[in-house]
Order: sequence, then C-alpha cells, then structure tokens
Amino acid sequence: MPLLLEVKDLVAGYGRGPAILEETHLAVEPGKVQCLIGPNGAGKSTLLRAVSGLLPPRSGEIWFKGKRIDGLPPHAVLQLGICFIPQERGLFPRMSVRENLRMGGFILRDRTELDRRIDDVLQQFPVLRERTSQRAGSLSGGEQQMLSMARTLILRPELIMLDEPSLGLAPKVVRQMYDIIHILKERGMSILLVEQNAVVGLSNADWGCVLDLGKTLFEGPACEILADPRIQELYLGKAQTAA
Amino acid sequence: MSKALDVDSVLTARRDYNTQLARVVGSRKRAVGTVLAILAVLAAFPLVQLSGINFNYPLHMLLLVFMYVTMASSWNILGGYAGYISLGHNVFFGIGGYFSGMIFVFWGISPFLTAPLAGLLASLIGFGVGLITLRVRGPSFIISTIALLMIFRILFDNWQFVGGTGGVTLPLIDLPVEWVKVPYYYAFLAIAVLTVVVSYKIKHSKFGLGLRAISQDEVKAESAGIDTRMYKVIAFAISAFFVGMVGAIWGDYLNYIRPNIFLIILIAANIVLMAILGGKGTVAGPIVGTILLIAFNEAVVAYFGATQLNILGTGVLMLLVLLYFPNGVVGSLARAGNLPRFLDWD
Amino acid sequence: MATALLQVSILGLALGGVYALMASGLTLIFGVMRIVNLAHPIFIICGAFVAYWLFRLYGIDPIVAMPIAAALLFAIGIVVYKLIFQRDAQNPKYSEMTVLLTFGVALVFDGLLAYWFSNTQRVTLPSYATDAIFIDDIFIPTAQLYAGLVSLVVIAALWAFLQFTRTGYAIRATTQNRSAAQLMGVDVAHVSLITFGIGLALAGAAGALVSFVFSFFPAKHWEWIAILMSLIVLGGMGKLLGAVVGAFLLSLIAAYVGYFAGQTWSTLTFFLALFIILLIRPQGLFGEKLEET
Repeated sequence: MPLLLEVKDLVAGYGRGPAILEETHLAVEPGKVQCLIGPNGAGKSTLLRAVSGLLPPRSGEIWFKGKRIDGLPPHAVLQLGICFIPQERGLFPRMSVRENLRMGGFILRDRTELDRRIDDVLQQFPVLRERTSQRAGSLSGGEQQMLSMARTLILRPELIMLDEPSLGLAPKVVRQMYDIIHILKERGMSILLVEQNAVVGLSNADWGCVLDLGKTLFEGPACEILADPRIQELYLGKAQTAA
Repeated sequence: MSKALDVDSVLTARRDYNTQLARVVGSRKRAVGTVLAILAVLAAFPLVQLSGINFNYPLHMLLLVFMYVTMASSWNILGGYAGYISLGHNVFFGIGGYFSGMIFVFWGISPFLTAPLAGLLASLIGFGVGLITLRVRGPSFIISTIALLMIFRILFDNWQFVGGTGGVTLPLIDLPVEWVKVPYYYAFLAIAVLTVVVSYKIKHSKFGLGLRAISQDEVKAESAGIDTRMYKVIAFAISAFFVGMVGAIWGDYLNYIRPNIFLIILIAANIVLMAILGGKGTVAGPIVGTILLIAFNEAVVAYFGATQLNILGTGVLMLLVLLYFPNGVVGSLARAGNLPRFLDWD
Repeated sequence: MATALLQVSILGLALGGVYALMASGLTLIFGVMRIVNLAHPIFIICGAFVAYWLFRLYGIDPIVAMPIAAALLFAIGIVVYKLIFQRDAQNPKYSEMTVLLTFGVALVFDGLLAYWFSNTQRVTLPSYATDAIFIDDIFIPTAQLYAGLVSLVVIAALWAFLQFTRTGYAIRATTQNRSAAQLMGVDVAHVSLITFGIGLALAGAAGALVSFVFSFFPAKHWEWIAILMSLIVLGGMGKLLGAVVGAFLLSLIAAYVGYFAGQTWSTLTFFLALFIILLIRPQGLFGEKLEET
C-alpha cells in the first residue's frame, strides 16, 4: 500500500534555537489511525507543525501522496488535503460557531456548497446545532474540541492531524471525541495524532510511534507498543496496565 | 517493526542531549588605560583657550556630545537593557531645565548646585509615571511616553508663570568670553562620565541581569521570581535622573528656558537614534552613536545648510539603521568578533 | 444651559465620528499585524493635503475627494509595507523595533511634507466649512456635522466589509488567531499586505474630512499620535468596536471639558485619559487581559 505521508530525515527547530527534530522519520499509511507518543520536548508537536507548514523545516523531506510538501505555506498544505488541529484547537474566539464552520470551508469558493456542508455537519453535531450563534470563545473545552473536529468535516481532508486532542477534557468527553475520530476513519480519512496520554492514544489507534530525543525510536502496531514492557517503563510509568 | 533499544541507553542519550544545550561564556580584560587616557585629554582640552585662538566652537560641540552621551546612555538603561522604548525621554530634559531655571530666576541659586535636585525631581516623576505605565507588557508604555511629552509640552506652553511659549530668560554668568563655556564643559563631562559609569555598573549587576532577562522574555523572568514591574520602574527612574540633571545645566547654558528647546520630538528621536545607531543594550554603544550622529548632523548642515531636512534625514537614518543595522555599531562588531577592546564594556 | 450642553454634545459626537474614522485604520493594522503604526497620523495629514490641493487647484469638494485620497494612500500603503514591514512579517508579535520603524516612517513623511508644503497652517474651505445650521437654539457647524455623518457611513461600510465579505472574514480570522487562519487556508502574508493598504486608505479618507474640520500642518501629527493612541488603548487595542466607542466617549468628554475649562484642557483630556485607563483597566474597555500575543 503506498504511503499517504512520509517524513524523511527531518530537521526542524524554532527560530535560531537548537534542532528539536533531528533526522526524524515517519510513515503514515492511508486509512489508519496512527498515534505518536513521547516525553515533553521530544518534538511531537514540532513534527506536526512542520508537516502542516506552520514551521518550515531546516532540512529533510516531507512527501504527501507522492508530492513533496516541505516548505509549503500552511494554506497550500491545506489545499493538498492535510488538515491540522493544533493543541489550542485553532478556533476564532470572537466568531460564532457558524462563522467558525464557515472559516473551516474558507477555501471553498462555492458559497451554496459551503452552506450545505455546514448544515450537514450541524446535523451530525446536535450540541453545536444548539449553539450556532454562540461565540466560540465561550464554549466549554469539550464543545470547542467538537467544533474544531466538526470544522474538518467541512473540507473532508484525506489526512487529519490532531495535537493532543484529549488535553484538558473530562474522560467522558474524551470518549466522545475518540468516537468521532473512529467515525472519521470509517469515512475514509486517515488520522495522525499526538497524545500526551499515551494509554488513551494508543488504545484508540491502529499504529503507534514513539518519538524521543528528536527521533523516532520505536514503532509498531499500537497494541504491541502499549504492551511492550520497555515502553511501559520509559513512557508509561512502571507497572502500568493498559486501560 | 520495533527498533531494538534498551532503557539505559535511552536515558543516557537523553542526558547527553540536554547537557549539550548549555553553553559557556568566557571573560575578558577591560581596556581601562585607554579610557583614562581619553578622559585626561578631554579634561585638559579647555586649556587650549589659553593659546589665544578661539576654540569656542569645538568646546560647544564637545559639550553637546557629552550632553547627548548622557541622555542616550540613560535612555539605554531602560530602552537598551530592558527593551522598553521611551519615545518622549526628553520630557525629563524639560522638567530638569524648568526646575533649575525657575529656581535660578527666583532665588538666584545656580543650576550647577540645583542640578542634582532637578535630576531627583525628574526621577520621582519618572518613578510615579512608571508605576502606572509599566504595569503591563506591550505597546502601552511607548504610547504613554509620547503622551507624557505632549502633556508637559502643552502645560508649559500655557503656563504663564513660566512664560508660556515665550519662556523665561535666565541670569548670565559673569565670565570673559573665552572661559564662559568652560564650566558647562566640565559639568557636562562630569555628568556624562557619571552616567556611563552607572550604566556600566548596572549592566554588570544582578539588577542589570534582571533587566536583560526582561528584554528577552518577560514572562519567564517573572516566573523566575524577578519583580519585573519594580525593575522596570526603577530603571525608568534612574534613566530620568541624569537627563533631568543635564536639562538643568543646558537651560543655564542657553540662558533661557522655552518649551520648544526642550520638549520637541526631534530631541526624543535623536536620543533613540543615537542609542540604536551605536548599539542599544551595550555600554559603549550610546557613546559611539552620539558621536556619529552629531558629526553626521554637522556635516549635513555644513553641506546643505537647511535644517528643514533635519527631520527627514533623521527618519531615513533611523529606517536604515533599523532595517539593515539593528545591532548598531558596537553590537555588529561584537557579533562579528571584531570589537576593539576599548569599546568592549559588556 | 441645557441647549449649550446639547450643542456641546452634538459637536463632541460629530468629532467623535471623525476620530473614530481616524482610529479605525490604526486599530485594523494592529489587529492583523500587531504593528503600532505611529505613522498613521502623518498619513492622515497626507490625505488632508490631497484634499486640500484638489480643492485649491481644481475646486473638488473634499468629501468627493475622499475616495481619491483613499486610493492614493492605499497605493502608498502597499509600497511602504513591501519596502519596510514585509521582512519582519514572518512572526508578528508586537515588537518595539517595529514601532520604531513606524516612528522612522513618520519622521520621513513629516520631513517630506514640511519640505514641500512648509508648516503653515492650512484648512480646506468648501462653502460648508464656515456654515452652520440652526435647530431651535442649537447651532451646529456644518463642517463638523457633515464630517461626522460621512465618518459614520464609512465606518458602517467598513464594518459590513469585515462582517460579510470573504476578505473581511480572512482579516477577522487573522486578527483573532493568526496560525488558525493559516491552517484554514488564509494566505496571511497577503492579508497583512492588504490590511496595511486598507488601514492607510482609511487614514487618507479621514484626512480628507479632517482637512476642513481642523486646521492642519505636518507637525500636527505628533499631537494626533497621542490622541489616537489614547483612543485605541481606551477601546482595547485591535478591537474596532472598542476604537469607535473609545473615540465617541473621549471626544464627548473632551468637548465638555473644553466647554467648562477651555480648549487647552480639552486636548489634555485625551492624554490624561490614557494614564487613567492604564491605571485602572489597562486592557481597555473591550480588551482581553493585556499581554503580547
């Protein structure tokens, strides 16, 4: 199966600071949910930001569907089919829910089609439907996460990248969110996510990757990674049982 | 496909990775001898008046340089070290000038004696204003410095007691013409030396380190336990002190005080430009910048005559320096490793 | 007394409209690019000169000259942005160096205008500049009245543009969350450029109105810098609604102060208001907790 996303020898850092990613490799197969785990500062968010175009890499290659995309600005990367939901959710706080959804379809020039898709999405998310005129900034954490995920459905990208989607959310809301992620997978979208909560992330993923010291150290089927005692000692705390 | 690695090597690798992020700074010896030699020459310079040739023009230029060195170095304490730009710094220049000037008119006490008090007054006002305007990060401070300048300009323009826009004439010193500038020369030289020494001491103190931390990342400085607000306010107050002092002396030197001598935006612009041109955040930078700018101004006036283009020229120069030369002379030389020792005081 | 107060209020509000227009471009630019454009008032004066000369030489009414001044200033804005500000546009944080750049630009245009036109006071004098209308006992100078009304129309048009057009969405999105806007497909570099042009166009339009409401000369922009800055700090930096409300509020207060205490105190009101706001609510009326974004 040809790879959807491939990252080779990527070197990236912020400003003139040290390189956070040093020759990192990553491969994402289509139709799977892949989870990246690792300690703080390892470069997980940096990797996603580099792929999304927010952070231009210093060297290395990023390939998406057979095209090189490293160095492209974020709006070009979006056009090619990669949607990125950053840690802070990436919402527009003073815009309403509906306006945020409209921004989700910003690159759609056809206004009628956009409106149709917005209505579609609102049908699937009754919580949002009840709050279309509410400012995004006043939504709860879970509702905000739901809105940012609903937004991605407007464009139906091929690859969705999520940076710590469960951050700050109650367990029940995390459950709901991962249900949405599974629905997205069923609809044919591929998911690459970064999770600080490695147990939750890996238990919901098909494939797992461990990023540490700016490199990919381990990868394999998610359940294997979760059960591996070395991983458990290094990253999950000793004597951890999978949830 | 799991890669085969054991726990220990990962932990060792992690430790090594972190240590290589630290860097060590070296130390240098200071060129004290050169500076003392220069100061000796400057101190002896007025004796050329004994030769019979009139050196009043060079004396004037030199004391002008000393005065602006003071103002630029003072500005640098908050603007260069802490990164908080004051665009109306000459407000303290005016406060000092008017304070000592009016005391001179009413009670005959020479500004040479009241200058430290003028500085103190400027400092207190700076402290009070700083408490209000330095509470938050962001652009409010810069804006407030312009507003402060405007407030005092309007106040003095309309305050009949100090003569409004016409100002007030000060009593003259009774000295023969070849010696009349000399007391001012020494006064400005002394204040300039004092200011630069204080600037140096601050830079190499814990206080200065805190200011520098603030300029790099104020949030982190705050969470490291530095009372950023107090540091900024104190820096502002100190930087006001010397400017107030030279204001007092300058008014006496000109023999009159008027709002449009002290409180015009061009002076504020020049102070900022001198500090940046020389290298803001360095000790020697403001000195170099002052000398360069005043020399440049004199050359332009000599060639083109009109001072109409003064503002235009200052603006263009400021843009060029900021766009292509943001570290100034001293900063750029230091980065390139070519800084001569007598300029290296950082 | 009541009529006098009503008259003062109407004048204050009319002027408030003009100040609001003057501040609108400034606040727009800050919102998108975090640039505190100290050169904004000198561009307003550029617009004033355009209207002034168009009237003196060709008899074109300053309100009619508004779009011309706006178009010219838009072009100047694009050029200035590309030459000077585009380099640092990668990661706009409010930065002192950028403010100094705008300061330098202000000095340059001040010098140019002073060199070409000298610092004599000028004012455009269409017929309504010295007229007034009377409603009962209230005396309303038509200059301020027309300027105020036209300002409101332009501000309303600006608001509609921001609310309903695709570019308006892009601008608002970039203001609220720049990286998110990029992730939604907005070319923020392009948006910054356009916004700078629009900001200056608004300055030009305001200048055309200003040319017959106030007497102006190049050096006057220093006074307006402090006034406009007070307005947008009061309103909350980057918030258009805040700038408008701040403008009306302060203008009204200044009008009352001017009536009771004289013109000098009226101008001082703006500056003192700045310090009072910084003392009690530094983020302004509508601002969020102040920090560098």
